[in-house]
Amino acid sequence: MQDFFRLIWEPVKEIYFTFREFAPNILAMLLIFLFGFLLARIFRGLLRRFLKIVKFDAWSDRMGLTAVMRKADMWRRPSEAAAALVFWFLLLGILMAGLSALHFQVFDNLVARFILYLPRAFSALFILIFGYIVAAFFGRAVLLTAVNSGYHYARLLAETVRLLLTVLVLAMALEQLQLAPGIVIAAFSIIFGGIILALAISFGVGGIDAARKMIERQEPAAEEKKKDIEHI
Amino acid sequence: MINRQEVSQQLRAIGSADILVGIPSFNNARTIGHVVKAVQAGLAKYFPEHKAVLVNSDGGSRDGTMDAVDRAVVEDLHSLLVRHRVEPFHKIAMPYSGIPGKGSAFRAIFELADTLGAKACAVVDSDLRSITPEWMELLLTPVLDGQFDFVAPQYHRHKYDGTITNSIIYPLTRALYGKRLRQPIGGDFGFSGRLARHYLGKDVWQTDIARYGIDIWMTSEALANGFRTAQAFLGAKIHDAKDPGSDLSAMLAQVVGSAFSLMAEYHGVWKEIRGSASVPQFGFQYTVGLESVNVDVGRMLGIFRNGVRDLGALWQSVLGRGDLDALNALATAPENEFRFPPSLWTRIIYDYALAYHKKSLSREHLLKSLVPLYLGRTAAFVLEAAAMGQDEAEAEIEKLCLEFEGAKPYLVANWR
Repeated sequence: MQDFFRLIWEPVKEIYFTFREFAPNILAMLLIFLFGFLLARIFRGLLRRFLKIVKFDAWSDRMGLTAVMRKADMWRRPSEAAAALVFWFLLLGILMAGLSALHFQVFDNLVARFILYLPRAFSALFILIFGYIVAAFFGRAVLLTAVNSGYHYARLLAETVRLLLTVLVLAMALEQLQLAPGIVIAAFSIIFGGIILALAISFGVGGIDAARKMIERQEPAAEEKKKDIEHI
Repeated sequence: MINRQEVSQQLRAIGSADILVGIPSFNNARTIGHVVKAVQAGLAKYFPEHKAVLVNSDGGSRDGTMDAVDRAVVEDLHSLLVRHRVEPFHKIAMPYSGIPGKGSAFRAIFELADTLGAKACAVVDSDLRSITPEWMELLLTPVLDGQFDFVAPQYHRHKYDGTITNSIIYPLTRALYGKRLRQPIGGDFGFSGRLARHYLGKDVWQTDIARYGIDIWMTSEALANGFRTAQAFLGAKIHDAKDPGSDLSAMLAQVVGSAFSLMAEYHGVWKEIRGSASVPQFGFQYTVGLESVNVDVGRMLGIFRNGVRDLGALWQSVLGRGDLDALNALATAPENEFRFPPSLWTRIIYDYALAYHKKSLSREHLLKSLVPLYLGRTAAFVLEAAAMGQDEAEAEIEKLCLEFEGAKPYLVANWR
């Protein structure tokens, strides 16, 4: 009979000892979740205030970031969206930190891979944001130069430049993320080359009339420049 | 800036000077000889007892401009009714260093004026065809007599010429600083040694002021800092045709950008000023025949209409919905009815000044986006003034100036 009870008691005891050994890990995970969540919320609040002080929303309006968000059906203010993005990044980090407290091999591996991937993710995000700003800046510079030169298709030219730069930036970001790099490079080459080819065809074949009109417009302008007024 | 050994030796040999006349140049071999001779004759005729130095500050000409300066001498002063010259006349031709541009050339001239302790200085353009010896008397005497620190030019110009001056710089400068200097960016100025030292003390030589912005900067500095200012009637201003390749967009950006930058620096001065007053004037007013000017109104209107079509969103962020609607309505008007109301133009310039101050857009882009608006306003003025005489056209500019003065409270109220 005693052997029978020992037979039942031993596994329970083993589970108890295992649980007792494991309980601090669970407690640590829960504490990490709780305090991490609170800290992330506090950080989000501080970040919102900081972005308000530095007038991030006005800057986003000027740079066209707000317009992009609206196009993507995002109606939060840019400062709130940025704070929320950082908040969710922190939560993801806290989740990984909490899971690593359990000391499970599978979670440890996941956390290690996540941490190793973080620099790439941040680089890609930076490339996207910086690339968007650069594309918008150059697009506007081309637009202004073309309009001031009397070029009739200024908007088309500027949008083409912006599109080419955006495709380039997207390809760079995806390449950074190492998401099927072979496919990304092939897709980029096809899209970029396709745009250039389409432009060449449209100007060379489809736009013969337009090209003739443009050339006709340019010729008298060059001639009349010599007898233009003195602006200063 | 003055680092060439031969120039330093020349300066040591000269020691000091009463008068210094500066001529900035870049590939002006064809015209600079005439300017040098006019200056030399003017100095001999009107200032024979003053030690004078002529300085050619060159931007690296490859057409022998500096050689032309060396060669240019008035052989027969008797034909100009000049009896004798007591004090010697010196010539220095040197290349300047720094950003290529008129402003950098002037900086070298200011440095030489300071080194030589010149009492009165003048600067004149190297492509002038209408300069006479009398220009020296008119620009230098008010300064040399100790009455004034800055003498701005006044010319007779064709009603279509000087449109940046007429539609932006003159009305804006007059409304801001309350002085009616008709040619604030005329380019031919007289100034005292004291003012030259003031200019030298400013650290602006890496900005647009080192280029086309120098003229408005010199005038604004003199006005805002309370230097005694006058203007001199010089007759007609006729000079070589500008390089057809010169970029209007860059020129407008440099001049207007410099004027807007100065507004931030001297906000404390101009915010209190209302209305305007005339300044003392020298020179005998006479009528001169002017070269005819052909204007391609169609091209200007084309660029304006393209701007309305393609830059609407950008303009709205600067001007607001109301004025953008007014521009949209203007763009649809036929050429013979195309008129740009002075009130709308005034609000546009003030809104651009405010946007420049608030940095609500890349400043380079902001100023470049003004070009189609400026061409629209210029086209409207040309169409409106086609049947007008010189005086009537001048009266239209006067109306615009009054509009700028009247709308100034809007600028002051929104400047933060």
